[in-house]
Amino acid sequence: MTPQNHAVRIAEMDKYYGTFHALKNINLEIAKGEKIVICGPSGSGKSTLIRCINKLEDYHAGSINVLGTELDDNLDNIDEIRRETGMVFQHFNLFPHMTILENCTLAPMLVRKQSQIEAEQTALEFLTKVKIPEQADKYPGQLSGGQQQRVAIARALCMQPEIMLFDEPTSALDPEMISEVLDVMVSLADEGMTMVCVTHEMGFARQVADRVVFMADGEIVEEAAPDAFFDAPQQARTQAFLSQILGH
Amino acid sequence: MAKTYQNPNIIKRLRADYFSNRTDTTLTLIFGACAAWALWNLISWGLLNAVWSAEDRDLCAHGSGGACWAVIDARWRLIMFGLYPYEEQWRSGIACVVMVLIVGLSCVPWFWNAKRISALWLTGFGIFYVLMRGGYFGLTPVFEQNWGGLSLTLFIFATVSLIGMPMAIVFALLRRSELPWISNTMGVIIDTIRSLPLLSIMFTFAIVLPFVLPSWMIGDKLYRVIFGYALFFACYQAEILRGGMQALPAGQEEAAKALGMSYWHRIGYIVLPQAFRNALPPTINQFVITFKETSLVVIIGFFEILASGNAAFGNSEWNFAHVEVYAFVALIYFVFVFALSRYGAYLERRMAVAER
Repeated sequence: MTPQNHAVRIAEMDKYYGTFHALKNINLEIAKGEKIVICGPSGSGKSTLIRCINKLEDYHAGSINVLGTELDDNLDNIDEIRRETGMVFQHFNLFPHMTILENCTLAPMLVRKQSQIEAEQTALEFLTKVKIPEQADKYPGQLSGGQQQRVAIARALCMQPEIMLFDEPTSALDPEMISEVLDVMVSLADEGMTMVCVTHEMGFARQVADRVVFMADGEIVEEAAPDAFFDAPQQARTQAFLSQILGH
Repeated sequence: MAKTYQNPNIIKRLRADYFSNRTDTTLTLIFGACAAWALWNLISWGLLNAVWSAEDRDLCAHGSGGACWAVIDARWRLIMFGLYPYEEQWRSGIACVVMVLIVGLSCVPWFWNAKRISALWLTGFGIFYVLMRGGYFGLTPVFEQNWGGLSLTLFIFATVSLIGMPMAIVFALLRRSELPWISNTMGVIIDTIRSLPLLSIMFTFAIVLPFVLPSWMIGDKLYRVIFGYALFFACYQAEILRGGMQALPAGQEEAAKALGMSYWHRIGYIVLPQAFRNALPPTINQFVITFKETSLVVIIGFFEILASGNAAFGNSEWNFAHVEVYAFVALIYFVFVFALSRYGAYLERRMAVAER
């Protein structure tokens, strides 16, 4: 395998839901260590796009390459890519029948074949990082939304992935809990993690992103560095979107 | 001093719950009297005027006004062990205890991993089979045709559950396969078997199957019936499990996929544990029904506990004592089914911790 500078390379990718053309000719290259924020109106395909990167969704034309591995129908390749990409969901999706610690150690033990002691050590490390080591023995249902989402981030980090995908991580949270999750994401970004975030948090985008990608109707309409994107958007659709969400 | 909440005393509570106004008081008195009358009759029939010893058979026959428990005293070995040879019935008794023990032990959470539970069941079934069937360690062989009573009931129940549950899991997984031809085929199989009466399935497996199977596959009638019953159990239980799986949010499997977990890991650690929890009440229900319907094997000539009970009063000596025999058999059913229900309730409480 030749050394790769990109973390993700998506080329001429199309996706359909039946006859509905959900993603149209997507070209996107993400460098290692780069932080991308994807935004756009609802239904624009941004969640679908990020879910294609670890094949939670199929795509129908073009190609996706993650860390040098081609994302095709080969199950080994899919597993390989999923091991190296962590994902955080809008609704946390913690396993309710397991404690916080078990949530964090399950995949490292099963997939990475770590010993229980090793996995628990790593888990506590990351739970400390997201500032809730004291909740390790509780069940997800006993935690607040913000705490659950931080656990979900820790759970993904326990697999020690190269890339982190965030699918609207703060959209299901009460307003007072958003910042605790964003703080964790900012510190993660500072450590050089490759991050792809679908989010409406424009403050976060401006502070953290290397590049903002704007999508509408299944297409990438505009991509630019955050300053240029927010201060001088080029496309009419971008301008309309920004004036709607920043306008009041 | 701050006011604290005080529990009302018992007289106050009784008055509030049962004698709060004139209608209330009247109803309490009427139904209280009925209940007391029924209870008194039961006690005087079942305990006070009852005849306990087999030697007092004549007293029963001429009517003591009470229950004739003498029939149980005289015939309990027939009820409990059926046609099993009289001198060997201790084996059947121990086998019963072993079966109850392994069922009981597999309810203990410590045994809930693949190694321990399979070790437990392999040993338990081994001991049960050697004791019942004999032919080893100088035990006289007793063929399946002569097994009977409680040990047969327990054996059928345990074996059907043991074969049926893994089958149910496989059926449920095939039923939700992403390949339509697999899920549809499974659907047709499940629907077909569910639409047949259990009696006809047992009959088919016992009587008809030997004509179509090659001789080395036939085996004893008992095992064919158990297999047919297990298939029937599996079809119902598969649908129960499928319901439990459908109640899972799609995000659960997606999260497991995103962590790189393989299909079997996702099923074993994420989907099935939660599906079983969702499906616990109907699953316990299914076990209770399965336990009671073991009595249907009488149609192909096996004397499980209900049929043995029929035999116990089926002679001129005791033919007046059928109520007592049925009450005794009902008590045995009740003990097992009630234990099952309580165990289900315990599981629900235990799992509720992780639910909120």
